[in-house]
Amino acid sequence: MNSESAPVAIMERVPPRALEARPQADRAAVFSMRALRQVFLLAGKEFGDRLRSGWVLACVLVWLGAVIFTSLFGLVQIGHVGLQGYERTVVSLLNLVQYLVPLLGLLLGHDLVVGEREERTLPLLLAAGVSRGRLLLGKFCGGAATLAVPLGLGFAIAGAAIGFSVQDRALTGFLLLAGSTLLLGLVFLGIGLLISVLCRTRVRALVTTLLVWGVFVFVLDLVALGLLVSLQSPAAAQEIEVLCDTTHLNASVDIHTAFDLPNNAPPSEPTSSLTGSLSWVLLNPVALFRAVNLAAAPDQAALLGINGLLAGVWLAGVLGFAAWRMRRLDL
Amino acid sequence: MIPFLEFIHLAKNYGSLSALTEVSFLVERQSVVALLGPNGAGKSTLFGCLLGLVHPTAGRIALRGQPITDADRVRFGYVSERVALYPQRTVLENARLFARLKGQTDAEATRQLERVGLASLGHRRAGQLSKGMWQRLGLAIALCGEPELLVLDEPFNGLDPVLLDTLRTILRAENRRGATLLISTHTMSAVEPLATHVAILLEGRLAAYGELHDVRRANGGDSLEAAYHHIARQRHPVAQAKEAA
Repeated sequence: MNSESAPVAIMERVPPRALEARPQADRAAVFSMRALRQVFLLAGKEFGDRLRSGWVLACVLVWLGAVIFTSLFGLVQIGHVGLQGYERTVVSLLNLVQYLVPLLGLLLGHDLVVGEREERTLPLLLAAGVSRGRLLLGKFCGGAATLAVPLGLGFAIAGAAIGFSVQDRALTGFLLLAGSTLLLGLVFLGIGLLISVLCRTRVRALVTTLLVWGVFVFVLDLVALGLLVSLQSPAAAQEIEVLCDTTHLNASVDIHTAFDLPNNAPPSEPTSSLTGSLSWVLLNPVALFRAVNLAAAPDQAALLGINGLLAGVWLAGVLGFAAWRMRRLDL
Repeated sequence: MIPFLEFIHLAKNYGSLSALTEVSFLVERQSVVALLGPNGAGKSTLFGCLLGLVHPTAGRIALRGQPITDADRVRFGYVSERVALYPQRTVLENARLFARLKGQTDAEATRQLERVGLASLGHRRAGQLSKGMWQRLGLAIALCGEPELLVLDEPFNGLDPVLLDTLRTILRAENRRGATLLISTHTMSAVEPLATHVAILLEGRLAAYGELHDVRRANGGDSLEAAYHHIARQRHPVAQAKEAA
């Protein structure tokens, strides 16, 4: 066969329209049974590997310990040691959750793809007929299970312990915390997965992860405060106070103190204006999480809805970007 | 009749570096194509394009006249140059994972492990295997589901004579079953008894393609190696300069 003359003949034989039509058909097949089976297999593999490596057990123990110890020692500042009721536990836990859960999500997600790339197993998976989109989805689902199991078990066991020992029935705030914590973790898992797609090495991904964590947990709050201070208006001054209350949890001490007032008066309303001109702060999932869990009752349902919606938007954004980048990767 | 596999004006650039330039050839069904060329000639990039790992800058690859999809790749088997698997998983778990991803049963994974002589080591962690066993496991995974196209990147590297013979026996059997084989290698003596066709890539360009005996005859060699060196000398400017001197 002559290599010089063959291509011309080939081009004539392959109808161009047929060549373009197949990828669309393949995209439609993403949701076929085989595709779902592949996603399920990859998710199961990811969860199984984390279970085997001790990640899941370690997370369960750390999280359970964190919830129980926070409940036990959350009021130590005012000289009280012992399991608190749900509401006080929620306030005590907020600080821990806002730092720990984003970090947990990012650490879980940061090596999902780059790890396979470094170990050179990624080409083998793709050559086995797994599309890049399915690979990402499977990885995300596996990571989500790895995140959800420890968080769920930790909240369930600690919640049961608090319920039985303190005889508290006001579970709503605690459930809200559990739900919003899971959403927060999933958003940061998605961000971690995006980092994993964008970085070429695990080390680079880890460094990026820590930087991103610092930005979301510390820098964005400082930027928000800086912007408000620069406005120098009376309204801004009011909002600075609100932001300080909802971001750096000195507010929690105020709230504990409020709980200890003779008439058990509710705390001052730290977040009532968060739905006002300060609402742009809530674009940061960490700020939104704090706002949802510190919100005064009338705002809570609305903020929970916004929390779910924004978490969905964040996830769609980061996973969509990760999928777009993944499709263009040369391995 | 539509050919089984077609590389059509395939090109791949990494920045200013051209890894593949205008590569076009047809692969007939059930043929065994030996893809030859020095390091950096573009062999792995060509395989990468075929397997969907690398996006061509221009041109395309068609399977039975249609672009290759992920669904088609389920019917491919791939052995990479450096076999990569999950070392913390057992031999059986590795084989089963990839068999299931291809829509095959666990029994098929076990059957292929038996075929490559690893059935008795099914519960050993893959990380504890020797290099030869590791390669056999990679081959067993590639064979799962009776692939219609086997893509093997340097499969003969570092094999002892017994394993080399076993590999060739299995590849012959696969070819008789109906599989088309694409084998990239530097070990020409190992691939020559198997090959029906030869493609030679030099600096990203297809320097020669044809049936094995035609390529040998046209390039004055009794062996594939002699023909390869003849073609490489003709095309390589440094070699040409030396010959002229």
